[in-house]
Amino acid sequence: MGATTVVKARPARPPSPPEAPAARRTGRVRSGPGSRRRRAGMLMVAPALLHASLWIGLPVMVSVALAFTKYDVLTAPEFVGLANFRDMLDDAVFRKSIVNTLLYTFFTVPFGMALGLLVALALHTGLKARGVFRTAVFLPQVTATVAIALVWLWIYNPGNGLLNTLLSFLGIDGPAWLSSTTWALPSVILVGIWQGIGMKMLIYLAALQSLPKELYEAASVDGASRVRQFFSITLPLLKPATFFVLITSMISAFQSFDQIYILTDGGPANSTTMMTYEIYKSAFREFRVGYASAQSLVLFVLLMGFTLVNKRIMGGSRGHN
Amino acid sequence: MATTELRKPVPAPRKPVRKPAGSRPVPVGRIALYATLSVVSLLMVVPFAWMVITSLKSPVEIASQDAGLLPEHWEFGNYVDALKAAPFATYARNSFVIAASHTVLNVLVASMAGYALARIRFRGSETIFYLFVAALMIPTYTKVLPEFLIVRFMPLAGGNDILGQGGSGWLDTWWALIVPGAVTPFAVFLFRQFYLDLPVELEEAARLDGLGEFRIYARIMSPQVKPAFITVALLTFESSWNNFLWPLLVTHTDSLRVIQVGLSVFKTENGTQWHFLMAGTTLATLPMVVLFLIGQRYFVQGFATAGLK
Repeated sequence: MGATTVVKARPARPPSPPEAPAARRTGRVRSGPGSRRRRAGMLMVAPALLHASLWIGLPVMVSVALAFTKYDVLTAPEFVGLANFRDMLDDAVFRKSIVNTLLYTFFTVPFGMALGLLVALALHTGLKARGVFRTAVFLPQVTATVAIALVWLWIYNPGNGLLNTLLSFLGIDGPAWLSSTTWALPSVILVGIWQGIGMKMLIYLAALQSLPKELYEAASVDGASRVRQFFSITLPLLKPATFFVLITSMISAFQSFDQIYILTDGGPANSTTMMTYEIYKSAFREFRVGYASAQSLVLFVLLMGFTLVNKRIMGGSRGHN
Repeated sequence: MATTELRKPVPAPRKPVRKPAGSRPVPVGRIALYATLSVVSLLMVVPFAWMVITSLKSPVEIASQDAGLLPEHWEFGNYVDALKAAPFATYARNSFVIAASHTVLNVLVASMAGYALARIRFRGSETIFYLFVAALMIPTYTKVLPEFLIVRFMPLAGGNDILGQGGSGWLDTWWALIVPGAVTPFAVFLFRQFYLDLPVELEEAARLDGLGEFRIYARIMSPQVKPAFITVALLTFESSWNNFLWPLLVTHTDSLRVIQVGLSVFKTENGTQWHFLMAGTTLATLPMVVLFLIGQRYFVQGFATAGLK
């Protein structure tokens, strides 16, 4: 979920009323006892900083460096320039994985967001049982993707899985979902949407609860219909939340791995392979670590690119909160 | 920002936020709303129910094409047999040890860092904060391969020499399972947000009383942000328990296998015995569901705070 916390981090600087005075005054202790204070501060950050340097900073640098090498872990890396990237252009399976990743993201994210928003709106109406509904919708979010994928593997089971059993009651002969090149990707996408709704719903719900009620009261007085209010007030005000949900969902969609590993192993005939799965295969099955690093760099650049484009289109997350 | 609102009432404020009720004499809309939400909730819960139901069926019944949806005989013994068929108890213990260590380490280290970044200005503090923020943006897959290599070539570990050659480093050790994922920039970030909101008077009073900075952090300020601690602890435990790829990469012996990896292996090794596999999956899922139900408002707060700040 990390990424866009980032984007949200910024408004904390020109902070909202309650935190403003406190935030401004902290840290402004002048020299004297202040130097001890500063030292304490550095000491307190040190462990986290050290950990991040070793397990995030260093890996990122190594990853970039290895992308330009041929490396099989056993012998020393050999500089090959852009060869890995050229190989990628010729790699039909990797191209397929990019297409699949984009398709998966395109279907799970916007559809999941629309559903999440609808459920959030429904729960925002002040129903008595909202807690129960919210819990049910959020449940898949706290469950391991591996466990969820295993359950769906069984639901999709062609012979006597739940889905085909239910379809047979309707007289429909269901396909072999995960081993059909036509149905495998849609099946994986369905699981993705199903699992992701809870998170999207929750962020929308929190955002809805922080909207100013006065606007709606004023709009009602002016005779604006509920639908009109939704499009003219709610949706624009939800823009920061939408941006946040979009970015975080996209990042996690781009990085889907567990469900592919369990559900299809990228098959049949590479119809469900994803970029992450290809990276995993290159690195840990074929031991082409340099190539895998180059692939992961492409993943990173694509994600960054999408984030920036979205930021452009959405005008960032500042503004409304 | 919704900071203040999110503090306490997270289990969704009791009072309706808008008050449309009066303007609607006939509750048709409300009934439709309940119906729709019930259907949606059902769709979310059915797979879990199907998992539990399958775990209580006999293999014969699972294999038969025309069996009913519910088991004819409830085979509670499946759970006992599943625990015998694969060392799920060991897997669960391993997962628990890792998740608990991550939780403790993350809460300690990240809260300290978050406190310092929120309340103390020192040279480079702003840069460090932005580095943590940048770290949030790095996709797992850009890091995971080099992380693996660092573990593999960890100097002076697992028979490695000082240059990291010769042995297997931290591979297949608790170190590899626990250390790399112990502290998350997300937790640092979340803690910082919580500490930012505290009034400066608190620490000033403590400082006048002659308390050192560590004591102010530990005794005065941290108790004020207990929800932050609970939130980070729950989120850390959950994501650690659910983690799959990293433990898959760095371990290969059964004694260090975690529950998610154990399940995935069980699927292929035994030609997929669905009743066992679903029993195992239920066992792996249950702790998280219980944890979520108990700490629901903190989960919600964690996700919502991340979203709104």
